[in-house]
Amino acid sequence: MNPETKQKINAKYERELQRGEFFWPDSIFKDVIVSLGIFLVLLLLATFVGVHDAPKADPSDTSYIPRPEWYFLFLFKFLALYGQIPVLGKIEWVATVVIPGLAIALLTLLPFIDKTPHRYYARRALPLAIMAILVLGIVLLTFLADVPTVAADGSSLLGTLQTLAGLVIPSLAYLAFIMFAYRARENAVRLISWTSLLAGVLMIGCTVATLALHQPAAAEAAEVPASLVDRIVAGQDLYSIHCVECHGEDGAVTTIEGVKGLEGKEIPPINGKDILYTLNDASLSEVIAYGRPDAGMNPFGKAYNPEGLTRSEIDYIVTFMRYSWDDRFEKPQIKPLFPPLAEGEVPSYAVHIQPIVKRYCISCHRPGKDSYNYFMDTYENILKSGDDSDSNVIAGDENSFLLQVIQGTPIPDTVNPGKDLIGVMPPKGHLKPDAIEAFRRWILMGMPETAEDAAGLTWPTPAATPKP
Amino acid sequence: MSGSNRVTRRDFIKVTTGAVGGLITLVMGIPALGYLIDPALRENKAGKPVMVGNLADIPVGTPYHFSFTLTKVNGWERTASTFGGFILRKTEDPKDIIILSSRCTHLSCRVNWNEDAGAFLCPCHDAKFSPEGQVLDGPPPEPLRRFAYEVGADGAITITPVELKEG
Amino acid sequence: MWNTLYNWLDERLGLNDLYTNLLDRPEPLGNWWNTLGSASLFLFLLQGATGIFLTVYYTPSPDHAYDSIQYIMNDVAFGWLIRGIHHWGASLMVLVVFIHMLRVFVTASYKYPRELTWLVGIGLLLMTLGMGFTGYLLPWHQMAYWATTVGTQIAGSLPFLGDFVLKTLRGGPDLSALTLQRFFAAHIWILPAALVALIGAHLYLIIKHGESHFPDPED
Repeated sequence: MNPETKQKINAKYERELQRGEFFWPDSIFKDVIVSLGIFLVLLLLATFVGVHDAPKADPSDTSYIPRPEWYFLFLFKFLALYGQIPVLGKIEWVATVVIPGLAIALLTLLPFIDKTPHRYYARRALPLAIMAILVLGIVLLTFLADVPTVAADGSSLLGTLQTLAGLVIPSLAYLAFIMFAYRARENAVRLISWTSLLAGVLMIGCTVATLALHQPAAAEAAEVPASLVDRIVAGQDLYSIHCVECHGEDGAVTTIEGVKGLEGKEIPPINGKDILYTLNDASLSEVIAYGRPDAGMNPFGKAYNPEGLTRSEIDYIVTFMRYSWDDRFEKPQIKPLFPPLAEGEVPSYAVHIQPIVKRYCISCHRPGKDSYNYFMDTYENILKSGDDSDSNVIAGDENSFLLQVIQGTPIPDTVNPGKDLIGVMPPKGHLKPDAIEAFRRWILMGMPETAEDAAGLTWPTPAATPKP
Repeated sequence: MSGSNRVTRRDFIKVTTGAVGGLITLVMGIPALGYLIDPALRENKAGKPVMVGNLADIPVGTPYHFSFTLTKVNGWERTASTFGGFILRKTEDPKDIIILSSRCTHLSCRVNWNEDAGAFLCPCHDAKFSPEGQVLDGPPPEPLRRFAYEVGADGAITITPVELKEG
Repeated sequence: MWNTLYNWLDERLGLNDLYTNLLDRPEPLGNWWNTLGSASLFLFLLQGATGIFLTVYYTPSPDHAYDSIQYIMNDVAFGWLIRGIHHWGASLMVLVVFIHMLRVFVTASYKYPRELTWLVGIGLLLMTLGMGFTGYLLPWHQMAYWATTVGTQIAGSLPFLGDFVLKTLRGGPDLSALTLQRFFAAHIWILPAALVALIGAHLYLIIKHGESHFPDPED
């Protein structure tokens, strides 16, 4: 840049200053107003959206799908698309190091590459077009991050569309820009503008088509119990499923009974000071995760069993044990699983049955688990799903399969005599009498869904219907 | 500062800027203060009663040293701290005993029983307490603190681990 | 009385000089897009303040990191607010810094005499992304753990030096307590120190050359 141009630029800046404003207070005022806006947005986000936490890190849980922060998603997606390119796609470091490195180098050295003194938009069509396509690409790739490049059914349509939007069209546009900039001197600005517009529309089109064609899988959002009470209850639910069989409801069992392979095994009670005072939370977690083979304790963590408990789940069980049995901890007020039934009261799904099902049944009876397709995740499914949907829950019928199995009577298989069609439920342990009573009243009185439905019904008390 | 006709607008802008800045500081500052002092606002919880000894083991007339460990839940962790004290049986009467904390009332050093001096000596600032905890010499402002206790039928002594002022 | 105090301080601190040189400067007519730089600075200060508060309770160890964050969120007074602002502030800061960079690009403010301001600015953008990357691991939850596993592996794909870089980032071949500790150190000491230094240079250059004016057909 020659001294004359520099002088011209400086002179023009002086003129702009003449008709300008002052840093204090004019500019600072605007800055402060914008900062206040940002601050209010942050307050609202922190208050009403909060921070969505995932479960605790668990190196043995390899089923977790890693996702970076949203502002790295475009890179994440770019790597996936790049991997689809034949031959070149196998050289990973071109995409991970060379291309991002080149982009950062170009961006850094920008003032030394773009050395013309022109600042007005119309004179800078090439850099503006390049940046526009780049930013558009970043935005679109971010939106596409959730769409797989190879569909589950092997169709490559989605992948092709994404490659077009994220790699092919931008690359072609860049080639065209550079060609126009150096060949079509007169019409360069017009050609570049139209090309970038066309490329932009095509990229957006491909992205919209991809998103429209893609059916997102229902995200299984892991709920993280927030408060101490929630964590204790989560731990109690897990304890009921995994531990009660051997250790009993209150952890006091000293001789295991009725468990195959461990029958008659002598175990220390886990609700006393010997265990709770001498093992800290970390040690208790390790015992649950890795077991104590010599003492008959099976490992429950994911390290030995992909279906096992996660780190967080084990932590909840430990929390439950501490606050229930360790006398140094003060147990907070925890509501019972469901409000106790009054005499003559008929339970409803919403108030009574759902919490019981959630604690004792749903761990197996939900989509994705082998449970004869009997899912108990919703009211409708409890009534109608499953291979034996006609017999599982029959209004007013004591012979409903569900009532039979929770009261200890297996359902015999009519095709293979001598075998059970459905075993006793829950397969390990029993429901408490009050839960069984709730199920009986609920089914015999016609399965009311809401508290209002149940309010109109009365359970006949023994006095009202004297037995013959 | 220039232009007398702009002064009003400029002053308005200045005041608003200052006010907004102050508002942000305040909205951020008050919760931050609450956040920092949160542990101080929590109630101290008395620990469970602790067994510290049995009458049968304790000689009459000489302070008997005991120590006990309390585990408290602090945040997401438990912390064990050890405390100590002395049991003084004044007579054979099982009820005629005093249980003192070994924490010096001056600056919380631990006092020791010195047989020759017949007194509790504090190693830090040369304080001296009588066997019953009264200040004999040195800087402490008040007598040694005491523990409330119960003596079981079998002679087991249980204390409530909260230090009480004498009387 | 007030005047005497002010004069006493002015003689020693040079308050009047500061006022004329820093605050009472003429500038080209401002535009709301020009506030993005100071918005980034505001977010940096806010992140700094909330970050310092978070370290009061946060413990960078695999055994305690998750629990200490749960404690901050559920038990400490206003912990949810401090963490919420820090969490969302990080996202917003990346966004604002990026748009600020775009604004400078579009108005070509990186040209003579402000080339170095741009250079320092790119450093600030990269540092901000680095803060986002290192901060993401600290809550030690599943998302963080596995995202960082992949993120560091990307650096490990570098030819020849890959293994060396990977081990340097992770403090060993795998994600461990060492990884958490060095990400914590980078997040609260190394990167912020570098950021402060670069911000200082950035601000000096802005005061030295003044804010650029919006280009018109003359430029």
